Amino acid sequence: MARMAEMVVSHTDGDVLVGLGLGSCIGLALVDGGHRAAGLAHVVLPAASRHGAAAAGKFADTAVPALVLELERLGIRRHSLTAVMVGGAQMFTMGGGMDIGSRNDAAVRDALRAARIPLATAMTGGSVGRTIKVYVGESRVTYKEAGGPETDLLATVQGVAA
Amino acid sequence: MDLTELQLDALREMANIGSGNAATALAAMLGRPVDLSVPSAAALPLADAVEAVGDVDELITAVGIPVVGDLGATVLLTFQPEAAATLCGFLGAAGDPEMELSALQEIGNILGSAYISAMGSMCGLELEPAPPQAASDMLGAIVASVLAPVAAYSDVALLLDSAMIVEDSECRFGFLFVPDEEGVATVLGRLGLWGQAA
Repeated sequence: MARMAEMVVSHTDGDVLVGLGLGSCIGLALVDGGHRAAGLAHVVLPAASRHGAAAAGKFADTAVPALVLELERLGIRRHSLTAVMVGGAQMFTMGGGMDIGSRNDAAVRDALRAARIPLATAMTGGSVGRTIKVYVGESRVTYKEAGGPETDLLATVQGVAA
Repeated sequence: MDLTELQLDALREMANIGSGNAATALAAMLGRPVDLSVPSAAALPLADAVEAVGDVDELITAVGIPVVGDLGATVLLTFQPEAAATLCGFLGAAGDPEMELSALQEIGNILGSAYISAMGSMCGLELEPAPPQAASDMLGAIVASVLAPVAAYSDVALLLDSAMIVEDSECRFGFLFVPDEEGVATVLGRLGLWGQAA
């Protein structure tokens, strides 16, 4: 479970990494093409502020490199990674240019580009909350909206190993 | 945001006065007595803060009222679907989803205004509610979105949480006040309790 501002990685087959109830936050999944490992960060805001020792998973610009590093520690090579993004909605249209969701969306995309990690697919924006699930060992990622079905975003491709 | 017991007590007392005023306003609106739980005040890590409000996966209806003026904050009312329907029924607005959301927004407006006006006079602050907004979705998605602006400057969120219960009904809902970090300092400063904390 990656709760607000948290980050998890796993290389255990059968593990499921979950980001529950993403509103303006982004659930960023990085999956290894060789199906061995995956990571998930629950990103809250676009860019790190100056306030020091924050959780790395909290900001888009720090979460991407931190998650890559965690996966590299598991022996995964950066160029085998693919990204999937879920979330970035605007739950309340409270004025004042406060659409954190779309700013998060743009910031995560920028950070992925900077890290040269391809974005396979994204289910972001709108005004609905979503849940992301990452099935470790299958390279499978799903999303779900409140009351809706669990839907594949990135499905297992049998017999293809990177 | 390290807060002492004394500071949390003061914030709890302020929440008590604010939500007491809000409960009185709701009782007048409904023509029914409204009970209030003793508010809690806790400074929690972000992830724990979301879970302290309720089951992250649960479908709720929420009304958010941004507070503007001398401090930034959000008032958030959280309803389980049955509680929202009961409350709308008291106002003759049950059945039609559009009407229900608009009735809940109006309730949010009245409760939020009552809360912050009591708080404002207690602390000598000019506070105003911005127009309320309603949403039905997963609790986690709603609460985390309210906490996100707080997260910019802090890994901890201060929640002032209480529950309102309309007597002789199943209607019980959560009433949450979330100041941003500067807001916490402002309130405590006005109460003469800012400066001695670490």
